[in-house]
Amino acid sequence: MDPLRRLKYWLENGKRSAALREEMELHLAEKAEELQTNGMAPDRARAEARRRFGNVGLKYEESREIWVTRFLSELGQDIRYGLRTMAANKAFTGLAVLSLALGIGANTTIFSFMESILLRSLPVADPESLVVLNWHSLAPRDANKQSAHVMHGLQGMAWPGDKGSIATGMFPYGAFELIRAENSVFSTVFGYFNGLNRTLAVRGQASGAATEYVTGEYFRGLGVSPAAGRLIDSNDDRAGAAPAAVISYATSQRRFGGPADAVGQPILVDNVPFTVIGVAPPEFFGVDPAAAPDLYLPLRSNLLVEGAHAARMYPDDNFYWIEMMGRLRPGVTTAQAQATLASQFHQWVAATAKTDRERANLPALMLNPGAAGLGGLRRQYSKPLYVLLAMVALILAIACANIANLLLARAAARRREMAVRLSLGAGRLRVVRQLLTESVMLAMLGGALGVLFAVWGVQALTVLLSNGRENFTLHAELDWNVLGVSAAISVLCGLLFGLIPAMQSTRPDVLPALKNGREGGQGRRAQQLLAVAQIAMSFLLLFAAGLFVRTLDKLHSVQLGYARENILLFSLNARQAGHRDPEIAAFYNDLRKRFESIPGVRAATLSQSSIINAPRTGQAVRGPMKIGAINIEGAQALAAGPGFLTTMQIPILAGREIDDRDQPGSLPVAVISERLARTYFENENPVGRRITLPDEKRDVEIVGVAANLRYGGLKNEEESAMTVFVAATQFPPDRVTYALRTAGDPLGYVNRAREIVREADSRVPVTNVVTQAAEIDRTISRELMFAKLCTGFAILALLTACVGLYGTMSYSVARQAGEIGIRMALGAQRGTVVWMVLRRVLLLAAVGLAISVPAALGASRLVKSLLFGTQPNDPGTLALAGFVLVTAALLAGYAPARRASRIDPLAALRQE
Amino acid sequence: MGRKPQKNDSLPGSLDMLILRTLSLRDLHGYGIVQFIQQSSGNELLVEEGSLYPALQRLELNGWIDGAWGVTPNNRRARIYTITAAGRQQLDVETRQYAKLTLAIARVMGAG
Repeated sequence: MDPLRRLKYWLENGKRSAALREEMELHLAEKAEELQTNGMAPDRARAEARRRFGNVGLKYEESREIWVTRFLSELGQDIRYGLRTMAANKAFTGLAVLSLALGIGANTTIFSFMESILLRSLPVADPESLVVLNWHSLAPRDANKQSAHVMHGLQGMAWPGDKGSIATGMFPYGAFELIRAENSVFSTVFGYFNGLNRTLAVRGQASGAATEYVTGEYFRGLGVSPAAGRLIDSNDDRAGAAPAAVISYATSQRRFGGPADAVGQPILVDNVPFTVIGVAPPEFFGVDPAAAPDLYLPLRSNLLVEGAHAARMYPDDNFYWIEMMGRLRPGVTTAQAQATLASQFHQWVAATAKTDRERANLPALMLNPGAAGLGGLRRQYSKPLYVLLAMVALILAIACANIANLLLARAAARRREMAVRLSLGAGRLRVVRQLLTESVMLAMLGGALGVLFAVWGVQALTVLLSNGRENFTLHAELDWNVLGVSAAISVLCGLLFGLIPAMQSTRPDVLPALKNGREGGQGRRAQQLLAVAQIAMSFLLLFAAGLFVRTLDKLHSVQLGYARENILLFSLNARQAGHRDPEIAAFYNDLRKRFESIPGVRAATLSQSSIINAPRTGQAVRGPMKIGAINIEGAQALAAGPGFLTTMQIPILAGREIDDRDQPGSLPVAVISERLARTYFENENPVGRRITLPDEKRDVEIVGVAANLRYGGLKNEEESAMTVFVAATQFPPDRVTYALRTAGDPLGYVNRAREIVREADSRVPVTNVVTQAAEIDRTISRELMFAKLCTGFAILALLTACVGLYGTMSYSVARQAGEIGIRMALGAQRGTVVWMVLRRVLLLAAVGLAISVPAALGASRLVKSLLFGTQPNDPGTLALAGFVLVTAALLAGYAPARRASRIDPLAALRQE
Repeated sequence: MGRKPQKNDSLPGSLDMLILRTLSLRDLHGYGIVQFIQQSSGNELLVEEGSLYPALQRLELNGWIDGAWGVTPNNRRARIYTITAAGRQQLDVETRQYAKLTLAIARVMGAG
């Protein structure tokens, strides 16, 4: 019977039931009419018609059953049969399910990350109508590094656009007011900016809190309702308004025991009193999926928290700092809004240009979709995720090929069974359907197990991605979308790897199969094709893994010039807790001495930040540095405490390092790096010479020369150029990072260090506790992740492919037992037989490589931007991947080859 | 209605054959099939009317007949059934089997 028609009937159940009922009613009516014309009274005629018809309801059900139940009962039959077959071949089932589960698990994991990073909308009302305002222009610095741009200062992130342009979402406050006033396209416009990490004190307990400053329209514009209390509105966002704060749901639980208990409570933000007026809903994380503020403050309250600096930001039309989003009015498209606003913004920004050169490169407004929030995370991760997705798709393809291969081998074994069934009159489609049911069942089992793997995979990958960061906010989860996709993938895989073997084993030419139980060459060719495809795909993954491992290796072998191991780092911000000059320098220095006295701590020092992150915390001195009349180009100034060079094990080449003699009142000093000394003093001794700081209105005297060190990140050559260390007592940073060189595991000293800080001042929280090694690894977390994941993927792929190859060869050896027996009977040596099988393995591998090497070279160019110090066509990596692959293939082929050489010629011939 | 007509449960499965045979002569709706069988058997065979509908569903699902909405001679909307090519083949098969069976029965009865 045609299963498709049955399925169609089954799906059309409702329609068909109605038709059936109508037919039966008509029948009864016609019968009654006939009886009436024969002279029966109408009532009696109707009753008689029913009586003769029999039980109407029962017959109706009987008729429906024909198309409803039979479909289900046959499906049930197939499933029971499938379960029996699976149970009878436990090794096969186990292997198939496991390899599928790994493939589907990997896909589900990566897809759930893609979903949360690239696809998921903000949890706010009608996210589709939100747009983010950005602008782009040519780079603000020309080839001579001369700035010619209306943007004189930027607080926030800019990212590179096409062809050397830059783009950012930061605007001057004046531009925000302009856009807010233009209300023909937006129903609401709201602004916000990152308030960075503030010290939040609740009932005397201080800790760090990620802060977002938001305008009064922010929560209303997003359409968010409070979990408790009320949210910030326009009345809160005025100069002179009562200081109000909204906290995140998580913060309300962590610090107050629940949202209801938080409302109305007084808090201190950097020692400034605020009142908690409300709590944001639990799912809300602001507008940036990469961040999750703990604290939302009215925009204007930055005047209280940040003081004079903040007051200067508002009127300065050349200082870019506020970000904004708008909600489109119904019926207005992004393009219309862009057209309206771009010209207005252009006019406004043109008026802020001070020179003709500034006027030549004005920012141009662009509107981007805001449904998924800000795009920083997407820009950072979309390419890596697509690369990873391609890899896991390959793994799944290898797994599918593997199962198709195993099924083909089994189909050959079951060919007699199929031939018997077909010749006994089973429809081909019925048999194919039953085989497909089996393979889809395998796939579903694999999928179910794969989802379990994915739960684990998501956790593992989150750890890998966050790499120890405390405030990592990306939380991928297995939601219904993801699970739906996994289920679809499973069923598709089942159909994919089941269809060819099913068609193969039910080919209508049943006679040869009935005769000798052997199949022709077609199944074998299909098997070999699959084996070649597996080899080719595994090679791609091996090569990718090789490239990424090499990249990581290059990054790890970058010369730092300072100690990486046995250093503990943590940060304090005493200024946020109310410490002021000049007392703050003494406070920091006193702490340093107490850290140094911890048993096991060899040396303790402080600086404005860790060396690797230093470029991001800015220069320790304002304005240019000069030696005489010459500007020092490309030098970085780092404020460091006593013993910095010793603690970091940076060699002192001349003079001395900064030490306790350098006090706020004494002569300002500096230590310069060797390269700087070579560049500006050539062969003279720089010790005793001076560096002039015009903007600071003072000079520093060079007291020593340090060996070169890599300043800033591992990848940027420029950042490592030249360094000027100045005394932290003389150029005091707000926030300091302590570095403790320890005996043994640095993390063993964390508690003691925390105690010391608490004893000194409990209002100062200890943040960013990390070892130097981990701090450095964080800057290459993506490369670490790629190297680890790809190695795992490559091993997985190689193992799966080897199992496939082993299966193919075992089967082909079993098939050729007779031939091998004859050869051996004719005097072939065991070695010859082994070589005969291995030669075939090598041939398969060679064909696979021949396909894969050009593909790998082509594909690797796409990942060039993810590599460091490694060419995408690196010949060494190519050779190594090929070697590993061929070795693995030979190992997989050796067992069948050995078995072939052990064939007893007599037994084999007797079977023939 | 003098003598009570015989119900056709003496030969299981023969209802399918009777329906196919009827439809091989003309396209009819459910009630029409019942009437035709009754009349052409000279009122000897009375189809159990309720059983007609499961049988029609079965035949249609097997692809032997096709049902489509149409109009009866009395101008009523009804599903009119048509025999398919596969249905005609099936009718041949069943007719042959039936002939064999009746012959066999006749032999047995004759021998007795």
